[in-house]
Amino acid sequence: MNRNKGKKALLLSLVLIMTMALMSACGGSNGNNGTSSNSGNSGNSNTGQKDNEGVSNAPETTSEQPAKSGEAEELSLFIDASWYPVKEWKGPVAEKITEKTGIKLKVTVATDDKQLPLMIASGDLPDLVFTNANIDRMSDSKLSYPWNELISKYAPDFKIDPIRIAIHTMDDGNFYTVRNSFATQEEVAQNKYSVGSDGNPGIAVREDILQELGNPPINTIDDFMKVLGMVKAKYPDMIPLIMDKDWIEQYFLTQFGVEGLLDGWYERDGKVDYAIRQPEMLEFFKFMNRLYREGYILAENFAYTNDQIDDQYATSGKAFAHMHTVSVADSDNVKVKNAGGSYTFRMLPSSISTNAKAVSSGLGFAGTFITKKNKDPEASIKFLQYLASDEGKKLTMFGVEGEHWTWNDEGYPNLKYDPSDADFVNSNGIKWWYLYNDGVTEGMLSYVPGAQKTKALMERKAFTVYKPELGLIQLQPDSDEKTIKTKIDEMIKNEKVKIYLAKSEAEAVATYANMVKNAEKIGLDRLVDWANQTYQKKKDLFKK
Amino acid sequence: MELDTRVTGMTEKEKTRTQFWKRFKKQKTLHLFVGLGMIFLLVFAYTPMYGILMAFKQYSISSGIKGIFMSEWVGLKHFKEFVNDYQFGTIVRNTLVLSLLKVFFAFPAPIVLAVLLSEVKNMTFKRLVQTISYMPHFISWVVVAGIAFAFLSTDVGMVNKALLGLGLIDKPLDVLTNPNYFWGLATGSAVWKEMGWWTIIFLAAIAGINPSLYEAAQIDGAGRLARIRHITFPGMQGTIVVVLILTIGSILGGGLVGSNFEQSFLFGNSINSPTSEIVQTYAFKVGLKDGRFSYAAAIDLIQSVISVILIFSSNFIARRASGSSLF
Repeated sequence: MNRNKGKKALLLSLVLIMTMALMSACGGSNGNNGTSSNSGNSGNSNTGQKDNEGVSNAPETTSEQPAKSGEAEELSLFIDASWYPVKEWKGPVAEKITEKTGIKLKVTVATDDKQLPLMIASGDLPDLVFTNANIDRMSDSKLSYPWNELISKYAPDFKIDPIRIAIHTMDDGNFYTVRNSFATQEEVAQNKYSVGSDGNPGIAVREDILQELGNPPINTIDDFMKVLGMVKAKYPDMIPLIMDKDWIEQYFLTQFGVEGLLDGWYERDGKVDYAIRQPEMLEFFKFMNRLYREGYILAENFAYTNDQIDDQYATSGKAFAHMHTVSVADSDNVKVKNAGGSYTFRMLPSSISTNAKAVSSGLGFAGTFITKKNKDPEASIKFLQYLASDEGKKLTMFGVEGEHWTWNDEGYPNLKYDPSDADFVNSNGIKWWYLYNDGVTEGMLSYVPGAQKTKALMERKAFTVYKPELGLIQLQPDSDEKTIKTKIDEMIKNEKVKIYLAKSEAEAVATYANMVKNAEKIGLDRLVDWANQTYQKKKDLFKK
Repeated sequence: MELDTRVTGMTEKEKTRTQFWKRFKKQKTLHLFVGLGMIFLLVFAYTPMYGILMAFKQYSISSGIKGIFMSEWVGLKHFKEFVNDYQFGTIVRNTLVLSLLKVFFAFPAPIVLAVLLSEVKNMTFKRLVQTISYMPHFISWVVVAGIAFAFLSTDVGMVNKALLGLGLIDKPLDVLTNPNYFWGLATGSAVWKEMGWWTIIFLAAIAGINPSLYEAAQIDGAGRLARIRHITFPGMQGTIVVVLILTIGSILGGGLVGSNFEQSFLFGNSINSPTSEIVQTYAFKVGLKDGRFSYAAAIDLIQSVISVILIFSSNFIARRASGSSLF
């Protein structure tokens, strides 16, 4: 009897403990949808109500405290890029901007690409959001203030050129942001010192090793493969080619004449199609697979979640070639030198193939959104207006005038520092506060007579074709086409690695064919039809 | 509370309300405990359930909480989409295989360890083993993933360095990236992390067995193995059945070690995704990253329904087979 009772008690307590354990264990996965969507909803309905409040309150409470009133107003900013090199609002540039605008920023840099979607879902948005991956999603009147509304209300003298507005105008007639790093073909043509931004691919190779190999020429892709083979034979402990996790495809896509990235569009004879269906794409995939099969790249390289690993390989002398952006040789050299190393990197030419072709369909890089949670939309739009002024653009891009640069009457800044010295640039907050800027100003930062980056960019500029119309094929949030594209892109992300790591060329080709078939099954043709319609409608925007 | 009403129900039917309140007052401290738990469940488990609605609707996050009720009804569209997804077969297979592997290995492990520990006579050694074995339970999976990297990475991993140094392998093992290693890695690390923790419960069950049974058996000439087989195991049976039922109920989440999502999320990468992508990580990706809440809700709903069916059927079978059951 007594023992039975004890057993019951044991059983009961067991059940209790285990239900708790169960709940905490399941909470991880099941909770995701339930709780997050839930709080997201409440967050959103709140913002709905706050709409009007925010706007009507703002002028009374804050318009009376301009820049000079000692205390700067603090706005929160979320940067949706985990690799972002500046993480705090400090340094001479930030201080100068605060001095001019009376605004300082409380910065949060994303830990991964899911953080912003999570914040949107939970309604937990900061005052400002700076993003490139979620521009579609944030361009939504429920999440952000339309710039046009704020400009007509608070900053009527904030003038933005019509092309930029047209590019960013959504179906509801509003535009919610303007991306930085964008320049029209004419603007680029008019400014010969604007050579381009860091955001272009490049490969750097070890000069000393190249010399030991007898300076073989690298003029074609085959030459490059041969050199990698020589490196592998002579230095078996060395990794022939290490790649930055975000710059795995770009350089070789360009070499094979593929227009656009894996998730982009290409145009031929007035018709638009998805990039993975370009004939050149297969050649690219075969080549990447060959790199792997020959043992020139690491399989692990495709699994890196940290963008520093490749830098470590390169600057600790464990890799021969380092693929990243056009500034990779310059910045690696600075790092090696600071660490006391004696070897140097040299850029490969931007083109090592006669097929090389770069299509600039870019509409710029990232844009700033003034969210509905913003506590002072007026100050925010004025802050952006300052950054968009000529003074603001130069201040953010080059640094403090006089201290960091002086203007050369030829039409470019004489920089008093090396723009490839990442430590200097980042600690002074140069460039990275470009919440509003343009490609012309940014392109000038790269003009340093004699620098490797400048040379690489000028080479690249020579074979770049401009097709900004392609960039206008933009998806509306929550549309069926957006869903299809997201699914296709996600599928490509999974499948492409299988192609790269295929055991034979035949397997690579089969996997590629399978990937295209999968895309078609998900609805590629419907997406392409839609894209063509949009393209025909929008391409006249750029015709004068 | 249930117990309480049953007790009141057992006394004569004529007993009036006043008596019920009297009893209630007497047990108010106990009711307070139960009440808190019930409020917890009501707020965090039952209330959010209305969100299931959106699995059948074209819901968009920007339409807010109203959207759950106002959005267009699309019926089984999301369910069909999931079933027709090109990855459907792979991720369902991965989920099932991982879950079954964990039940197969992670369920017996703590039972065996508990029996072994109960036979250890040296108390210091027993406590030491117990402490060391349950410690990993308190480390979060994020940290475990970091530790795994330090041990197993091809480049800086200790294990690979050691094996290479000893000349046992001539090429580093790509445990973290090769799809062929993922299931072993997941099951192994889950067993390592949770085995000691669950041993505690089984040890408690063993402690509840009357020592006189052992003495009697010893006098009758039963050896150690015979005693384990005829006394320890039957004595643990109730506990084992309850744990098994709960394990099966949560099987799709990884059973009693419950870590399918964390492992696939943290150890998974684009190279081992053919074996590491599971239903939960897929739902997380499309649900949160792509903002398709209706679709994700539909996927998770399928999973929950399967779990409910499993827990009821395993409970039924357990009751028929062994007489002990959860409810």
